[in-house]
Amino acid sequence: MTIHLSIVLFLPLATGLIGAFLPRGMARWAVLAGTLAVLAYAIVLVADFESGAGGLQYVTDDEWISELGIRYQLGIDGLNLFMVVLTAVAWVACTLVAAFTEHDRPKLFFFNLALGETAVLGAFLAQDLALFIVFFDLMLIPFYFMIGGWGTGERVRATTKFVIYTLAGSLLMLAAAIALGVLSTPDGGEISFSLAELEERSVSEGTQHWIVLLFALAFFVKAPLFPLHGWVPETYRASPIVTIALLSAVLSKVGVYGFLRIVLPVMPEGSQHWQELFIVVAVFSILYGSVLAFSQDNVRLVVAYSSIAQLGFIVVGIFALDDKGAQGAVFQMLNHGLVVVPLFLVIGVIAARAGGRESLSELGGLAFRAPVLAALFLILTFATLAMPGSANFVGEILILFGAFEDKLVYGIVASVGVVLAAVYMIRVFQRTMHNREGPAAESREIDGLNLAAVAPLVAVVVALGLYPNFVVQRTETSTTAAVDEARGVAEEVAER
Amino acid sequence: LSATGYGWLVLAFPVAGMLIVSFGWRVLPGRLPGWIASAAIFGSFLASLGMLDKVDAEAHVDSAWTYAATGDFVADLSILVDPLSVFMCLVVSGVSFLIHVYSVAYMGGDRGYARYFAYLNYFVFSMLLLVLASNFLVLIVGWAFVGAASYLLISFWYRRSTATYAGIKAFVMNVIGDVGLVVATFLLLNETGSLDYAGVFAGAEETFTENDGTLVAACLLILVGAFAKSAQLPLHTWLPDAMEGPTPVSALIHAATMVTAGVYLIARMFPLFELAPTAADISAIIGTATLLFAATVALVVTDLKRVIAYSTISQIGYMVLGVSVAAYGAGLFHLMTHAFFKALLFMGAGSVIGAMAGTQDLDRMGGFRRAMPFTFITFTIGALALAAFPFTSGFFSKDEILSYAIERGGGFVVLAVIGYLAAFLTAFYAFRMVFRVFFGEPVPEAHELEHGHVAHGEPMNPMTGESEDTDVGFPGPEHHVAERSWPMKAAMGPLALLALIGGVVGVPALTDTLEHFLEPTFEESRYAEVHPSAGTEWAELGIGSVISIAGISMAYVIFVRRRGITLRLRDRFAAVHDFLAHKWYFDELYDAVFVRPFTGAGSFGRRVIETDFVQGFIVGGATGVVRAGTSFARAIQTGYLRAYALLLLLGVGAIALYFLLASS
Repeated sequence: MTIHLSIVLFLPLATGLIGAFLPRGMARWAVLAGTLAVLAYAIVLVADFESGAGGLQYVTDDEWISELGIRYQLGIDGLNLFMVVLTAVAWVACTLVAAFTEHDRPKLFFFNLALGETAVLGAFLAQDLALFIVFFDLMLIPFYFMIGGWGTGERVRATTKFVIYTLAGSLLMLAAAIALGVLSTPDGGEISFSLAELEERSVSEGTQHWIVLLFALAFFVKAPLFPLHGWVPETYRASPIVTIALLSAVLSKVGVYGFLRIVLPVMPEGSQHWQELFIVVAVFSILYGSVLAFSQDNVRLVVAYSSIAQLGFIVVGIFALDDKGAQGAVFQMLNHGLVVVPLFLVIGVIAARAGGRESLSELGGLAFRAPVLAALFLILTFATLAMPGSANFVGEILILFGAFEDKLVYGIVASVGVVLAAVYMIRVFQRTMHNREGPAAESREIDGLNLAAVAPLVAVVVALGLYPNFVVQRTETSTTAAVDEARGVAEEVAER
Repeated sequence: LSATGYGWLVLAFPVAGMLIVSFGWRVLPGRLPGWIASAAIFGSFLASLGMLDKVDAEAHVDSAWTYAATGDFVADLSILVDPLSVFMCLVVSGVSFLIHVYSVAYMGGDRGYARYFAYLNYFVFSMLLLVLASNFLVLIVGWAFVGAASYLLISFWYRRSTATYAGIKAFVMNVIGDVGLVVATFLLLNETGSLDYAGVFAGAEETFTENDGTLVAACLLILVGAFAKSAQLPLHTWLPDAMEGPTPVSALIHAATMVTAGVYLIARMFPLFELAPTAADISAIIGTATLLFAATVALVVTDLKRVIAYSTISQIGYMVLGVSVAAYGAGLFHLMTHAFFKALLFMGAGSVIGAMAGTQDLDRMGGFRRAMPFTFITFTIGALALAAFPFTSGFFSKDEILSYAIERGGGFVVLAVIGYLAAFLTAFYAFRMVFRVFFGEPVPEAHELEHGHVAHGEPMNPMTGESEDTDVGFPGPEHHVAERSWPMKAAMGPLALLALIGGVVGVPALTDTLEHFLEPTFEESRYAEVHPSAGTEWAELGIGSVISIAGISMAYVIFVRRRGITLRLRDRFAAVHDFLAHKWYFDELYDAVFVRPFTGAGSFGRRVIETDFVQGFIVGGATGVVRAGTSFARAIQTGYLRAYALLLLLGVGAIALYFLLASS
């Protein structure tokens, strides 16, 4: 079956542009239709995808800027298949909620939303380093406008920080990418940014060290990990709820995905060199994010800091340089995204019940007249804290097993994070849903719109918990291949 | 149907019940949700009987689908049907069914009626999944699910701050146990290459020598899981607080079933523990320490439900001792009889608490003998079994554990002696409850009840004295049921009978039904031949009888004949009493060692690291650099953001240019 990834990729942007020419109220429907079409495409992809086959499928490969060796190369394998699905699902849910909410300048908002989807899909699909960077930086633009234009509170300060952080990261990565392309060009050969080509070529070990570090800085900012998370609190607080849901669920994954797609296969020695440091940073992020999540009063910030901890787990899995760890990381990228989107939508509902306030000390008792809301939130809480029986647990246990394999101590410290997650997530559930009603809270059932967006996602979360192997069997081959070389290097070093 | 076919049915019924009740909560009228849930559990019980009919010496494994498989990490969603799991299923579904029936009346007026039964069905499903699991992953799933169900039911009356707090405490303790199990699972997978019980046990025989360090570590981690769930030292503090949940929940989860999961786990893992005798010995010592500790606390606690809770901790200590000294049959025998009499005691307590309009304080109770004859009789039967009074069920099961411990000889004799000492305390505190609740002058509530009026006191939280809002569940206008409802009696009657005569399946030398039934599971045990002779066992039963009767008599003297003496004793031994009444200061210790440092780290992180370091140093530094650039940029009339981007771009351009030049 021929599936043209370019269609998937540019469909959202096209609908955004079409929306610009439609009457004011119609743009949202065009964009929503676009996200639905992408979702349909993504489902077909999953159904059609060949699990056992290694390598890329549905490849598109054209010349783009031949002078610089940049190609327009797209493809799907086990690494990005479910990232595309996650993007499609998240955008449908968020666009649906946004479509029924009033916005100023709706055309512009929905255009940004659509552009965002194209950018993220591009970053996930790109098989050329330069193309990846183009889309990686393109992501920044719509989100900059959405937070700055439709955010609340100190949005200017927030966007400034957000942009400075991300831009600094991106530019470092750009420099690193150029260096990588140039330095890996063999004598008399032509420069190339194609990832497949870069894997074949090699750069010296010393060079790999600093190139990996620059990539890592960019990806850690995006993830985010401690101490590069300075943009997080204000951005999360100021963003519109759908924007922050997408940022946390999908954009945060692009960075860690970059490790598996680019850094590990292309620079295995460099990856191994920093393995220890990155694991330490990630483990510290787990503990730090968890402790901070526990001490936050703002509901959004609890989830924000919990994301730092969760992304820490994912990075631990990746830099365990082990099949199981990477497998868990890839799975957890999907799981975290699938849980965070409905989690933020529920937080939006909760805030709406409390006159826009999100402070735990003012909330409470919401379960009283809203059993459906409470039940949905409960399932999401359990999934977020990776309770056994959820797909998140399978992801986490694979990550931990990968880390235990030869970084036992870090693995054990990381498992403290599992306990801490239980503490802060149950605390949020209790402080919002249980106890007596807080001063600002009014217990009311979830509205039909949010129910329509949240319930299917919760159903997906439950279904994945029942049959996680659906994902695991499709991602296994590519994941193993992605860490294969770096693992080999690590084993060699261990022997020495 | 095959044995495993029935096994799947055992699991399917409660799931169906849960789904029907939770999706139909708005349309199902009156008490129907409760009856549907009860019927579901009865279905499970019947299916368990089906398994009993089909089960043989073989272990039957059946897999539904591959749960997760990557590399050597292969786990199916599969169940294991062997005598041990059939036995557990029968106990769990049987007792659960009776408690469901009891709840139909007890929770009848509660606002969260349907929610309650959905949770309860979910719990039973989880517990059955736990005992039917055939690999470590499914075990962990069931293990965590029962923890979650326990959390939901402890904080069922979620308007009470004490209930939600207790729920969190229980949940977190349980998660600590889960993590222990996860790490143990890793160690075992790593060494044996399997997640299935069969594979791990077979692999362990080959890989490990006796007391291999890794194996001992794995066993100790398994014990962390077991002790967290079974409320053994030092992970016991959540269980007394768990009494915040509705009383039938205390009966079902926090006495009869879930908290005994640790005992089941140790028994299930016996091939590992026998290869790691050090871990088994530690387990036996902790079990013994716990049984003594909890018995001493139960002497002084004045909250009726908490007395029974400490008694539960203590009795599980006996079971842990049993399975740790390889007396698997005896430990599981006690698990069963304890499920009967402890569930019965809780049901009786629920009845009394109902009559007291929610008050649980022993100091305010008395003289209910005539007001509630049915509860009096059944509660006394429960107390007799708990006190191991001759020929009750607990008599045979508790003494069998101690006989085995003596038979093992050496240090185990010391443990058995401590067991006998605690047995005396047990008989004493069991009848302290009976005498204080049912004897003496009737309190006003008992008087009223004798005239047919159920007390309707101002509903208040017994722990904090806060008044409760009655329209939101606790305690609900129709909450005060006090044995007036037939389903309560219908549940208590059979349990009383079982508590009385449940010992018949294990009378030394006469009937060894249970032991014989479980034999196939434990035939590989290296201690299979260790068995006290019938003569010794009967001699030790004689000792047990004396101890039991002595304890009851002493309680009679102190609480009935010379009632004033208790206050004098308390004053005389004020220091001891304080120490016991503070439950050996465990809560205070944990607060100082774990809770405060953790919250301290939280606020330190928030105030110092976030504000000063991340926002101040890193962000401030970055913006400082930007500002410096801006003052230059302002001169050329640009916004600082654009200037910053431009500067960076120029810088990167320069780097890029350098490399392009360098490479050519």
